[in-house]
Amino acid sequence: MGIMRKKICMLGTFAVGKTSLVARYVHGIFSEKYLTTIGVKIDKKSIPHEKRPVELILWDLNGEDRFQKISKSYLRGSDGYLLVVDGTRRATLDAALTLHERARETLGEVPFVLLLNKADLVDEWELEDADWAPLQARGWTILRTSAKTGTRVEEAFDSLARQLVHP
Amino acid sequence: MKSSALPTGLLQSLNVAVLERAEDQSFQLLGKAPAWLCHLWPEAVEKREHLHPENTFLFLEHFFEDAVAVWQRDEDASVTSEMWTEVDDAGGEWLLEAAALKLEGRTLLMLKFPTVAPEDYREVLQQSRELSLEHYRLNKEIDRREVLMHCIVHDLSTPLAAMKGSLRMLLDDDLVPEEGTPLVNIGLRQTDKMRQMMSEMLTAFTGPAKKEPAPSAAAVPDLAATVTELVTGLAPSATLKGVQFRIETDKTNGAETRWPVVGETARLERVLFNLVENALRYAPSSSEVVIRLADEGNTIRFSIEDAGVGVPKSETHHLFRKFVQGSGKTGQVGLGLYFCRITIEGWGGTIGYTPSTLGGACFWFRLPKPSVA
Repeated sequence: MGIMRKKICMLGTFAVGKTSLVARYVHGIFSEKYLTTIGVKIDKKSIPHEKRPVELILWDLNGEDRFQKISKSYLRGSDGYLLVVDGTRRATLDAALTLHERARETLGEVPFVLLLNKADLVDEWELEDADWAPLQARGWTILRTSAKTGTRVEEAFDSLARQLVHP
Repeated sequence: MKSSALPTGLLQSLNVAVLERAEDQSFQLLGKAPAWLCHLWPEAVEKREHLHPENTFLFLEHFFEDAVAVWQRDEDASVTSEMWTEVDDAGGEWLLEAAALKLEGRTLLMLKFPTVAPEDYREVLQQSRELSLEHYRLNKEIDRREVLMHCIVHDLSTPLAAMKGSLRMLLDDDLVPEEGTPLVNIGLRQTDKMRQMMSEMLTAFTGPAKKEPAPSAAAVPDLAATVTELVTGLAPSATLKGVQFRIETDKTNGAETRWPVVGETARLERVLFNLVENALRYAPSSSEVVIRLADEGNTIRFSIEDAGVGVPKSETHHLFRKFVQGSGKTGQVGLGLYFCRITIEGWGGTIGYTPSTLGGACFWFRLPKPSVA
């Protein structure tokens, strides 16, 4: 039986840690240096599954801002996505919600997980429980992650992968 | 006459790799391969035939959906992909672009560097984003230092006043032996000096709006425009929470569309952000947050009301003090409303709280218009 392939897009504004999360998950590494992503960078990771192996194709999209927009064509064929927010910057949540709406327009209802990244800098967070409580009330899966320490990174990707394999 | 055929090294010198699609959907490399292809895909240079670039460059699998549509056409056509980044074994990044062409019956795939110089593009983008992050960090740091400075000055004032009072009483009530009087006088002069220094620090801290020359009309903050921009930015959060913003103004004739107030736009934005975000946080689902602007002649009054639980009466008297948090509130240090108060008062305005007729909280402030400041 062949490999089951699932395309996952990383969505969020710039410098929220999308590339770092993928690097931590796929290669187990982290770099403090911020290097902006241009276009898309694609990586893959195989994960075991009870019936047949699953290969996650991770599309690390450029962060959207006024200088660089996310092309809808990148989203095409995506089985799910990770919405990434930087807990130390309040505005990144609003940007993620806007991208979520755009992803829904393009993909319809597909599984996604909201990641509140930079949990290692929690003392500097501008976001607090009340900000994401309404999203949780809507049934969103929300995880606090840190690409730097690795906190809940594996769980974040695995959580989405489980939803993709067992929708 | 020279041959009209293209030089074989042309594509190589242009850094373009050209492949032709065969009937079995594999590809054949045409001409000399550019150096970067040898680096990223050595197999193609060795085999040259029966190649599957989509297995090496995963992005192409996605692009082929558009490319096949071009290759299946009868007439000449082309489509270019978005940019993508390939990472080599050493961690080096290569920005690439693909184009699919149908040309004189042949189906071609071109792999190349983007039209824009990738390094220039990356550098400009990188710098703009780093500056944007730095600007954000600096603003936060300035806010923190301003509030901290204000807190320190105010916290020192009270014990200093007590020290001065005690020293004065020692002298007035003849409680100091004659030989000790000069020392007490030294203490009194030093406390006066410290009070003077603190007063100057406070003036420097709260003074810019008063000290600077009158700003041009364009630099005067427009309260309505600032509110509208802020509310637009928070609209996604509000929508998800099921909360609607309603902005009401008492200017209905349209003759005067600006709402100029004394102040400075960036700090006014931070004041408004604190108040609007606060209302949004406590507004229940399916409710309205109502913002009102009222022209009162020499001043403009702003108010924001929500239908949340409001502020318990026992907490209303110290709401605008520093390090005060509402009951059950976590995660913030309680400087938001304090910052609002010292900023608004620094501009000659007033700020306050009243229960809202909507059932929750109503925060308001009043600022002078520039002409009467």
